Amino acid sequence: MRNVLSWYFQRITGALLLILLAAHFWVEHFMSAELRRGDLSYQAIHSRIANPTWQFIDIAFLLVALWHGLNGVRNIILDYSRIGRRATQAISGVLVVAGVVWAWWGIEAFRNL
Amino acid sequence: MKYLRQFSGQTAQVVQRVSGVLLLVYLFLHVRTIHELSRGPEAFDAALLTFRNPLFKTLELGLFATVILHALNGIRITLIDLGIGQERQRRLFWVYSVGIGAVIFLAGAIPLVLAAMQRS
Repeated sequence: MRNVLSWYFQRITGALLLILLAAHFWVEHFMSAELRRGDLSYQAIHSRIANPTWQFIDIAFLLVALWHGLNGVRNIILDYSRIGRRATQAISGVLVVAGVVWAWWGIEAFRNL
Repeated sequence: MKYLRQFSGQTAQVVQRVSGVLLLVYLFLHVRTIHELSRGPEAFDAALLTFRNPLFKTLELGLFATVILHALNGIRITLIDLGIGQERQRRLFWVYSVGIGAVIFLAGAIPLVLAAMQRS
């Protein structure tokens, strides 16, 4: 049952990432000539990332991406190894801690805007 | 024939995993750069300056291609897991994941390369 849920969640987060990433690419790289040239700068993005709605979207994006990515790593490790329940739990624990620290590191970026 | 199909499915699975891990490594580097925002405009712009040379432009396009391949191949794997298109999965990999992926890649990459060339 838990594996089925994990499978579904990987697909759901994948679908979400598809939408969020397409929007992210558009907003950061294609929307204006300045962005298409790759001239990103603090000034160019400041008004957007200082906006709480965008911060919410960006943080949600990071959390979904981390879930999808770290769950993917977990799937890879469990698939290529024969380990018991204990070791599986230990790996899951390490990945959860990594995800929390990583998420905090990203959220912290908005601290001084 | 059955062996070939299986081989292709497994190869696609490996492609999915390798590209996934690469994207996670990229996410780490990306958060590292974005974190410079907290150190103010100068620090952030200095971090961005690193990415304005042709090497990083090329790596960026490689990243774009990796994202597209991972996304389309992920959709394909999901459809097959759900029992859709199982007989045609090898063709789906080439036509759908690689073929359509190439079209999307070019649609995104050409404007970026043209814009970058205009600047320099």
